[in-house]
Amino acid sequence: MSRLARRCERLSRNLATVASDPLPSTSSPRPPRPSSKPILYSSVILNRAPILTPSPTTFERAFYAYQQRIRRALHNPFPSEFYFKQGSLLEARFNSEERFREKVAWGPTYAKEEDLSPEAKAAEQAAMDQMALQEKSDDKLMPRVHPSDEARDYHSLDRKGRRNIYLIIQRAAEDGQLVWEFPQGQPVEDELLHQAAQRELYAHCGKNMDTWIVARKPIGMYKPSIPTTTSTPTPEAITFFFKGHIMAGQVNPEKFVKDFAWVTKQEIETRVRRAYWEGVKDMLSDH
Amino acid sequence: MASSLLAWSRARPISLTPAHVRQYAKPADANAGDARLILIRRALYPGNIRNRASPTGTWRPDVRQTIQRAIPSVQAHHTIERAWLLHRRLVRKRREAELARKFECMKGAMNELKRVDSRLYSEANKVEDPRARSKVEMEKMKQLPALEARAFDARIRGLFPREMRIPAETPSKNGWNYEWKPIERPL
Repeated sequence: MSRLARRCERLSRNLATVASDPLPSTSSPRPPRPSSKPILYSSVILNRAPILTPSPTTFERAFYAYQQRIRRALHNPFPSEFYFKQGSLLEARFNSEERFREKVAWGPTYAKEEDLSPEAKAAEQAAMDQMALQEKSDDKLMPRVHPSDEARDYHSLDRKGRRNIYLIIQRAAEDGQLVWEFPQGQPVEDELLHQAAQRELYAHCGKNMDTWIVARKPIGMYKPSIPTTTSTPTPEAITFFFKGHIMAGQVNPEKFVKDFAWVTKQEIETRVRRAYWEGVKDMLSDH
Repeated sequence: MASSLLAWSRARPISLTPAHVRQYAKPADANAGDARLILIRRALYPGNIRNRASPTGTWRPDVRQTIQRAIPSVQAHHTIERAWLLHRRLVRKRREAELARKFECMKGAMNELKRVDSRLYSEANKVEDPRARSKVEMEKMKQLPALEARAFDARIRGLFPREMRIPAETPSKNGWNYEWKPIERPL
């Protein structure tokens, strides 16, 4: 039976188009082959997608301004008599805004200033103030930077609106140290890995979150290298990661979860263990 | 009396209306409708008499000066264009590299799963029918009231949930919804 299994494994390894070395080949002394079946863990990478569009860079803003100036130079004259009634307040407001935009585009020295007399300017300003008073609404736009960004509140789901942020939890490891990692656990009997991932997420973080595990397939795996001590052949532990999205709610951590944080990829690097980071970093979004 | 008679006779165009029909409405002003039509026509069909520099005569009068202000020189314009294309290319390459890394992670994970456990591997590769409802879900739906049953049914496996939002320019007024109440769903 074992000979047949070994032959099948060799055959599959020869036939496989994607050569994936099952054992780490970096260390020169060959690490001991794990004797028993590997222990599988399911983990969830819970992502809060960006809430805000990315901010344009300085170069992008300069380029867009350049292109806008060219279009302003070339476009057809605006048929304002078609869109606005002659002599209306709206037309006055539009004309004053347009004069401002022309000044921004061509510089303040370009336009001829003797278009309007001071009285006409004052009258126009009074008309615009009246319009603003009439149209006043309480719909103010919220700022793109949230107070939790300045306060460095890592529990907040409003922080870093432009970035992808991920959930990591802090728990006590076997040696008593506190480690940061993604929520993980073992699947029970007959359970599939993605179901185990969802269940472990509920077990660690409560059910007060509207989460969606994207697919049945894992997005990556982490296999810590087995230490080369030849005392007892330890089974290897493989963690499979599943991508999840959170749409509403917040983490309600259990007792064994010491702390949780919603952090970006760069902030994860400063918190988790080095080997874990090397295994996990390629699954996360840079931005 | 004579003036009113005169006004009455002028108001009714004698050729168009018969004498026994009374005219109570004010006679339509001949020019009012025309003004709007003239505006619309002018906006839609600019003049095409070729007596000015621009082909349809519709550019702004100081187009030469404004173009000279907008574009420093031909070389500068080409340099800006190439810089933009280079910037776009760098952004694209970074995005593609990130996607390639993520895909390699996925491929490695699936290969490892195949090596370790073939049952879990085949289950992971199964394609779910979005229309199918499992037995557990159907039982659950029978117990729930109508509205909750609809909310429960709305989350379809394998499809993006409706609650996933598109990034916007500014955040919502109320911010993140921390007080979300869970809907029990079978795993």
